[in-house]
Formats: sequence, C-alpha cells, structure tokens
Amino acid sequence: MDVLTGLLTTAFLAGGVLALAALGEVLAERVGVVNLGVEGLMALGAVTGIATVTAVPSPMLGFLAALAVGALFGMVFALATVFLRANQVLCGLALTLTGTGLAATIGRNYSGMPAPVTFEPVQVPLLSSIPIIGPAFFSQNILVYLIYLVLPIFFSYLMFSTRHGLNMRAVGENPAAADAAGIPVNLFRFSYVTIGSALGAGAGAYLTLAFVPSWSDGVVAGRGWIAVALVIFAGYRPIMATLSGLLFGLITALGFIGQARGWPVAPAFLSMLPYLGTVAFIIVPVLAWQKMRRAMAAPAALAQPYFRDMR
Amino acid sequence: MYNIRNLSRRGFLNLSAAAGTSLLLPQGLIKPARAAEPLPAIAEEEAVIGFGHVGPITDEGWTWAHHQGLLAVKEAYPKLANILEVENVPYSADATRTYRQFVSEGANMIFDTSSTGDFLHQVVKRAPEVAFMECNGHLGMDNLGWYYLAHWYPTYVIGVAAGYLSKTGKLGYVASFPVASVYASTNAFLMGARTVNPEATLQTIVINSWFDPQAATQAGTALIDNGCDFLFGIMDEAGYLQVAEKRGVWAAMWNTDIRRYGPNSYVSSVIIDFKDFYVDQVGKRLAGTWTPGEYLFPMGGGVDRDTWGQNVPKEVGKAADEVRQKIVDGWSPFVGELKDKDGKVRVEEGQKMTEMELYNWDWSVDGVTGLEG
Repeated sequence: MDVLTGLLTTAFLAGGVLALAALGEVLAERVGVVNLGVEGLMALGAVTGIATVTAVPSPMLGFLAALAVGALFGMVFALATVFLRANQVLCGLALTLTGTGLAATIGRNYSGMPAPVTFEPVQVPLLSSIPIIGPAFFSQNILVYLIYLVLPIFFSYLMFSTRHGLNMRAVGENPAAADAAGIPVNLFRFSYVTIGSALGAGAGAYLTLAFVPSWSDGVVAGRGWIAVALVIFAGYRPIMATLSGLLFGLITALGFIGQARGWPVAPAFLSMLPYLGTVAFIIVPVLAWQKMRRAMAAPAALAQPYFRDMR
Repeated sequence: MYNIRNLSRRGFLNLSAAAGTSLLLPQGLIKPARAAEPLPAIAEEEAVIGFGHVGPITDEGWTWAHHQGLLAVKEAYPKLANILEVENVPYSADATRTYRQFVSEGANMIFDTSSTGDFLHQVVKRAPEVAFMECNGHLGMDNLGWYYLAHWYPTYVIGVAAGYLSKTGKLGYVASFPVASVYASTNAFLMGARTVNPEATLQTIVINSWFDPQAATQAGTALIDNGCDFLFGIMDEAGYLQVAEKRGVWAAMWNTDIRRYGPNSYVSSVIIDFKDFYVDQVGKRLAGTWTPGEYLFPMGGGVDRDTWGQNVPKEVGKAADEVRQKIVDGWSPFVGELKDKDGKVRVEEGQKMTEMELYNWDWSVDGVTGLEG
C-alpha cells in the first residue's frame, strides 16, 4: 500500500475519536457550558460499547447504547450546571473522575477482551477508486463517514444558517439578552450539553468498536482533554473541530510511520509528537489567530451560569 | 558448569524426592541460592501468599499466565489462610505501597510478577521475614530472588518459521521499551529468520507500553504499510494480531494461545507457564527450605513455542521444530561472530553467549532497526 494512503488511513481512523469528542464539546461550549467531563464520558462510552456488543453482537447497538449512557450522564451534569448553577469546572472534573472510575469498575470483566464484533469498512462505490483519498477515506467504517461528513456539516448548517442556530449562539454569547428576546436559555443549554455529552460517549464507543478494538482501563488515555484543547484551536466551529481532530490523527500516525520507515529521528521524539501537537494547539490560536481574534473567540458567556434574577 | 537443560523439572522433583538430597540443582536455576539461612517453616493454614501484577488478570497474556500460576498454588495448597492479589500495579511509588500493604496483611511470600525494581526492594529490605520473588528482577538479597524465562530460544524457533513464511524478508516488531527483554527478543527473532533468509531485516516500533491496544494497533498498521509481512512483538494483548488478520499477513505473539483473534494469520506464540514454578516455590516456603534462587526457565520448562497455526505449512513447522529439538538437546544458536548495527564485532567468532549475557542483552544485532536512537 502507498505510504501516503497508509498515513491518511490511520489519520482518519485515529482522528475520528478526537473529532467526535471535540464536536460534542463545541456544542456544549457554544451554549456557554464548559464540559470538562469529556474524558469520563469517553471512558463510559467505551465500556458501554464493548459491554453491549458482548451481550448483543451488533456494533450499531453498542454505539447507540453509548450515546444513551452519555446522554444520561450529560443530563445529570446539565442539571447541576444549568439548573442548579453549580461551578462548571468542578462539576466537569467530578464527571471525569466518576466516569473513568465507574468505567474501570464496570470494565474489569471486559479488560483486554477484543470486541466480538466491530464496525467493518464500507466501500463507497466509485469514490473508493479515487487514488490515495479513495482507499484512505472512502473505504472506512460507517462511523468515519458520520464523523467527518454528516455530523459536522449538519451542525455547521444548524449553527450558522438557521434561526435556531442563531438563538443557540446568542445563549452562549449573552444569555440575558437571549432571555429578553424570549429564547429559553436553560432549555437550550440543557439540550446541547446533553447532546454534546452523548457525542463524547459516542467517541469512546468509536474507540472500542472501530479503532482499537478492545477495552482496557485507561484506553481513553487523555484524549478527552485533548478534545477540549482542540475546541479552542478550532475556534468553536464544528467543521474546524473535525479538521483539527484529523490533523491530530495525522500527527499521531506520523509518529508510527516515522518509526516504521526508520527515519533518522529518535523514537522517543516521534512518540512525543502528539503531546507537542497538543502544546502547539494551545499556543497557535493565541499567536496565529490574532487577527481573527473576534471570529475565533470563545463565546462571551462561556462557563458563566445564568441567573435570571441577577440580570 | 552443570548441564541444567537435560533434566525436566518433574524429572528433577522425582529424582530429588527419591534421593532425598538437596545437592542437585533444579532445572533453570542459574545461580544456587544465596548462603542465607532458609526462612522458618509455616503451617499451611497460617500462610499468606501475595501476587502483584502489572496488568489485569483478564488480559489473556502475561498477567493471565501468572494468575493461572496463582490458581495452581490454590489447588496445590487448598488450606492456605489467604492469597492476596493486586492487579495493575504501576511502576511507581504505588508499587511500594501495594507490597507494603501485602506485608502488613501478614504475607509470608510475595511474588512481583513484573519487575518493579527499587519500588519493591525498599519493601524487601524492611521485611526480612518475608520471602520475595521478582519476575525479570536483577538483584538478589537474603530474602529476594528472581525468575524469568529464556524466551530467546522459542523466539529463535519462531524466527526460523518467519524466515520461511515472509516473502518480502521485512519483519516487523511491536516493542514496548528498549529494555533487555526486547533486545533479546528482537535479536533472537531476526537471527532465527536469517538462518533461512540471510537478507531478512527487522523493523521495530517502540510504543512505550506493555499493554496499549490502541498504540499496538497503529504500530502494526504502520509496519504493514511499510512492507512488513510478518509481525512479532512483546505485547500483553492481541492488538496487532487483529491487524495482521485483517490485512492478511503473518503474526506471532507472546504469552498465551490467542489464535482465535486471528486464526488465519496466527503462526505461534512464546508460550509461558509459571504453574509448576509457583507451586514449587510456595511448597519450599511452607516447608522451611526456601532460600532465594535465581531462575531462568529453559525451553520446555516454563517457556516454549505454541503449536503452529492452521495456515503454517507442515514443512515449515517441521523445519522450525528440528531447530527447537536441537536447542532442547543443549545446542545454542547464540554463538559468535555477532556484529551490532555499526558493524562492530560484539561476540567473537566461536564464543558462546552465556545465559546471563542473553538475559542482559543491551544492543541490537545487525539488521534490527528502531531500538537504538
């Protein structure tokens, strides 16, 4: 197989995890809620996915079950942060700790066990015969298409081309004004935090059902945090979040390809690439996005609970 | 030196039981026990044995094999007061805490099934009445011994098979860390393959973990993309075997028979078995005859190649098994002249590497790339 094709195949596959989790986080942050529980949600999703397919051999069912579990925990988180107005950072950390701990406990019996069924690659007719991109992108499993095409385009359209999206962004920028305009602030926040959490757990299920494919404690390995960082890099935009996930997948894949091809770079340095990438993803927006600061800025009301009576 | 390889463990046990002597050395004992006084005997009903593992016992690999050893101990000594077991002991101060906990819970004998080095030794020094055995350890004390497998022999045999099976002559290796086990494993594997295909090379990818299905999967993919058509590695899970199955290349594994994850690709495994060893060690501790020994299990005595995979041609298996038999009969393939990757002669012509040199191997033979910067 062509090296470039191999590199892109791995990049699409590896980046999907981050792309999906980052997309979920974009939804939550756009309505003004920082969800630092992504890491925990991914762990829960990962274990739910593997537990479901062990019982019922259907990867789609496993993915849906993970979405449901993610939504459930997202509702608890949203209840605390949106309606009870608890501190979002603390609640997020609590969700991460709960999620990883709970997943480790549930996952004990599934540890190291490969998934009995996984998402299998689906060849897209015609498109899969395009050189390089064809085998790399159009011969992947169905979740990859969902993550890279369907979801980002849908949410981008929803967010920037509909009245509903305008309302959604207004809630994140200035909840008081939105409230005055008759937009149900808390309902918006609750719904999108829940949907975002579901996608976060879905990213975990993608990990165990399409990528690895098996569960082991610590399988998420900090990717939840990287997803949070990617959202800032992506300027809170769905399509950008997906692309930055892909870029990150590319960096990870580069580390392996570099070793496989025996590049004259120390293996330790190549293994360091993802972490250097994370650092770059934090620094680049500060420096390079300077001119586009307004466009790429965080929603003004991010991480601020909304109290109507303190307007 | 005594020829230790001609005697099977059971053979030895029967023999020594019959002779009633402790002068004979059990198979695999590298160094006789230290001059320390044996620890006093304990009644089975009062004895507590502890096991600390690096991974989860469900990994179907390294930790699973040690857990089978624990089960064998339980079966052999059903009246033991308690068997303590902790999984996922990290290589950190948490290991010290875990083993200290074992001691405070009254453990009489503790097995560290994946070397935690100084983190264990701190506890060993402070608990002179407790017997410690460290797997892949390197240090002996009055109450600390070590044990490991001479895995380079079965690895060499699997390497011979790889030499026959690989068409491209490019072999891939998913490595954990650049440590002695990995140097010995990669070198033995390529040396075996080169007896068949002198042009064969071995490319390694270091993933900085013994158990990381994600990284192993990606590493396996990258190796295959790069033309490797035989994957080997030293992982505690089946990650790259699943990749090999999907991509239609050969793969050999470590620890246990996990061919069901890739029945078409599976060639063999470096199979490990600690059952007899643990039962023997616990028995000695109970009887008051335990002193810290240093053991390397020979081929056929705790470590071996697995039965060949379903798609491995009969003649390939047969050719490799002939090499295996030669090794069991006492022949060593690790004889000079051996050069490192810079062409420097590291083992002189005709010189045979000792077991301890193999155990502490720290350089790559010519043809192995990726381990040394």
